[in-house]
Amino acid sequence: MMSLKLAAAFLILIALGGFLQFSYDSNIDYFAEHDAFVSFPTSKTLKILSFGNTNFVADMLFIWTIQFYSSLHIKNRFDYIENIFNIITDLNPQLRAAYYYGAIIMALEAREFKMAIKLLKKGSRNMKQEWIFDYESGYYAYKYLKDYKLAEEFYLKASRNPEAPSLIKRRRAHMVYVRDDLELALRLWMEIQANAKTQVEKDAAFNHLYQIKFEIETKALGPKINAYKERYGRYPIHLEELKRVGLIESIPKDYLGDEYLYDNKTGKIRAKRMYKWKKLF
Amino acid sequence: MKLRAIAINTFKEAVRNKIYYLLIAFGIVFAFSSRLVSLLTLGDQVRVLKNVGLASINFFSVLIAIFTGINLIYKEIDKKTILNIMSKPISRRDFILGKFLGLSYTLLVALVSMATVFLLFLLISTGDIDWNILVYFCLLYFELLIIISISLVFSSFSTPILSSIFTINLYLIGHVLWTFNEFKTRLVEPITRIIIYLIYYILPNLEKFNLRDQIVSNEKINPMIVLTSILYALVYIAAMLTLAILIFNKREFK
Amino acid sequence: MKALEIRDLRKSFRSNFLFKKYEILKAININVEKGQIYGFLGPNGAGKTITIKCILGLLFPDSGQILINNKPATNPEIRQILGFLPEYPFFYDYLTAKEFLHFSAMLFSIPSKKASEVSKKLIKQVGLEGKENIKLKNFSKGMLQRIGFAQALINDPDIVILDEPFSGLDPIGRKELRDIVIALKNSGKTVFFSSHILQDMELIADKVGIIFNGNIIKEGKLSDLVSHSVQYYDVIFSNIDKKKVEANKINFVCRDESYIVRCQDINTMNNIIEFVILNKGKILSVTPIKMTLEDIFLKEIK
Ligand SMILES: Nc1ncnc2c1ncn2[C@@H]1O[C@H](COP(=O)(O)OP(=O)(O)OP(=O)(O)O)[C@@H](O)[C@H]1O
Ligand SMILES: [Mg+2]
Repeated sequence: MMSLKLAAAFLILIALGGFLQFSYDSNIDYFAEHDAFVSFPTSKTLKILSFGNTNFVADMLFIWTIQFYSSLHIKNRFDYIENIFNIITDLNPQLRAAYYYGAIIMALEAREFKMAIKLLKKGSRNMKQEWIFDYESGYYAYKYLKDYKLAEEFYLKASRNPEAPSLIKRRRAHMVYVRDDLELALRLWMEIQANAKTQVEKDAAFNHLYQIKFEIETKALGPKINAYKERYGRYPIHLEELKRVGLIESIPKDYLGDEYLYDNKTGKIRAKRMYKWKKLF
Repeated sequence: MKLRAIAINTFKEAVRNKIYYLLIAFGIVFAFSSRLVSLLTLGDQVRVLKNVGLASINFFSVLIAIFTGINLIYKEIDKKTILNIMSKPISRRDFILGKFLGLSYTLLVALVSMATVFLLFLLISTGDIDWNILVYFCLLYFELLIIISISLVFSSFSTPILSSIFTINLYLIGHVLWTFNEFKTRLVEPITRIIIYLIYYILPNLEKFNLRDQIVSNEKINPMIVLTSILYALVYIAAMLTLAILIFNKREFK
Repeated sequence: MKALEIRDLRKSFRSNFLFKKYEILKAININVEKGQIYGFLGPNGAGKTITIKCILGLLFPDSGQILINNKPATNPEIRQILGFLPEYPFFYDYLTAKEFLHFSAMLFSIPSKKASEVSKKLIKQVGLEGKENIKLKNFSKGMLQRIGFAQALINDPDIVILDEPFSGLDPIGRKELRDIVIALKNSGKTVFFSSHILQDMELIADKVGIIFNGNIIKEGKLSDLVSHSVQYYDVIFSNIDKKKVEANKINFVCRDESYIVRCQDINTMNNIIEFVILNKGKILSVTPIKMTLEDIFLKEIK
């Protein structure tokens, strides 16, 4: 009897508590944008305060950080980002995920590409065995900073790592290509072709070589065609004519040995094959 | 009278245990260390001072709540002193309520001593006192009361180690429960929806007692929300005590 | 009038693993009259402590009734007139003797002024004078037993329940506490105490209940149990020639010139005495040997 009464009282009270929680929740906008205040001691102090459990503290901090950066309603969350990831990676310089995801958050969310690259550089300094950091830096430099020279440097550095996949060499070669050093690009792709092991690699090298050869030759041929026009007041009808008047020594062929397509109305040269080579690094 | 006897005795027992002073002392020392930490950071020193100070007092008072709460009941059963008490004309209900009152008083003394020292410290180092901090301590006290009522429920039927694990877990869950609001709209299946909503409303929701962010960033505190929180605390404590009495009524003392 | 009545009390425990039921108490019936000293006798593990815990509401009986002054014992308020000394004195060891008595008094709602008076008196009565400000954790076993006695009497109880009150005490302590029990009886209180020490029972109990294996196997006034059970008579005589005695086919034991003869009934005793008088011998003594509680106890549990 007594137990029944108590049980009933308990149920009523717990229900009332739930109701209060409900009314509390409806009064609060949990996801109202607001600023958060985060303050950290320096990593040195934290190291001391962790009493030797620096890795543990770093892990905890990292977990917290990931939560923090997925709280989209905190407006000023990027104010601290560089500092936080520096502390984490100071505490545990071997925390690969911290560099990797830290850079992703910095680049893709905070749009701080230089900051991301800086963090990745620190990663590659501290973890010499990893190529992924330089690879990522290369990507950010290429994709967002459009600094192809910088990107090439990163890819080059990453490709020196014996663990690095062959893809990185191809990326580097591509960087060389996009920054218009066609001769070097041609050489690099030939090297890649020579060392290719898989069909994908072979195809990629072939496509690039085809395109680069074409571009080198168009580049050389363009001024000759223009010179011909200046001299005779019209574009040559065939490329043969250029050879005949002595502007070129031989007619260039594409990488497969076929002739280029020449439009004598516009004076433009097209390659026979147009590859979707951009997709295939 | 009988209730008071149990309460006073509970307080005496806690106070005669050195751990109690140790934890209070740690709370104070860590609160002081906020000064040190604030020196190590750049800018916003007052904010850091408040943040670290309040956090350490919070941490240590919760520790006191969990451990004295669980320890005192269990010891009573383990050391069989309860045989002596329950053979006196005192009901199980009065025993639980007396324990609760004694523990609340124990915590009040601990919290007031830590808070006083901290406020004085704040006054000395910043030259003025943010009275909202009192609201913070008040809500913290209610949270502590919820914690001890929960620990009474657990220790009325299980061992201290399990009780502390349960209580600590509930405490942690209580502080992340609010994030449920983030994904509740994603629940579509009716049965899971009902179950999860039930669990959400039954578990103690403790984050509302944490005003540290508002205090630290000098935001205005909504008195209605504070009142709802206190009301919630009172109802929840009543529920837990009823449950503890319900369980304790069935308990035999071998 | 009955101060304590137990009817058909049963209690079993479940073992945790197998859920097998162990019947510990099987139909316990006990009747304690007001003003009596009731001795609850039984070997180790018979179920004395369990019975007492049921009386005090620490354990819940499976079935049966416990009446205190004809009222059911389930109401905690009934314990207002009970005093209890647990088997092992588990008390708060961080309290001093005086604080502990005050705490106990508060549980009976005794006002603090009266509590100080009573506890002072009790401390003196149990022989702990001068020790009232020592913490209980520094008490010896005997001292704890004494302070336990004092707290059992703090509310001037009508019925005092003592579980093994004399264990752990020296002979003087036992005597002192026995005297307190007798004094309680003289002031009209009822005492229910368990023990397996027969001597204590014989010295103070009015009524005895013997529990064995969870059953009450005998209950009765001590005088009834003991007085009507003369087992044999020892006759001791001397001044008769040994050959004469032997010729009469009398079983005897010789000791320093005198003969001891154990007679199983009154007739044989009369015959022996006649024989001694006829032969001009000297009767030194005639002693009826009664059955002791120990004999009864051993006979019953066989
Ligand atoms: N929790 C329990 N579960 C199972 N059996 C138990 C439990 N508690 C006690 N018993 C058993 O009940 C029986 C009676 O125990 P009880 O303590 O009443 O003995 P006692 O008569 O007081 O003995 P003693 O003279 O040694 O104090 C014992 O055989 C004991 O093994
Ligand atoms: Mg016993």
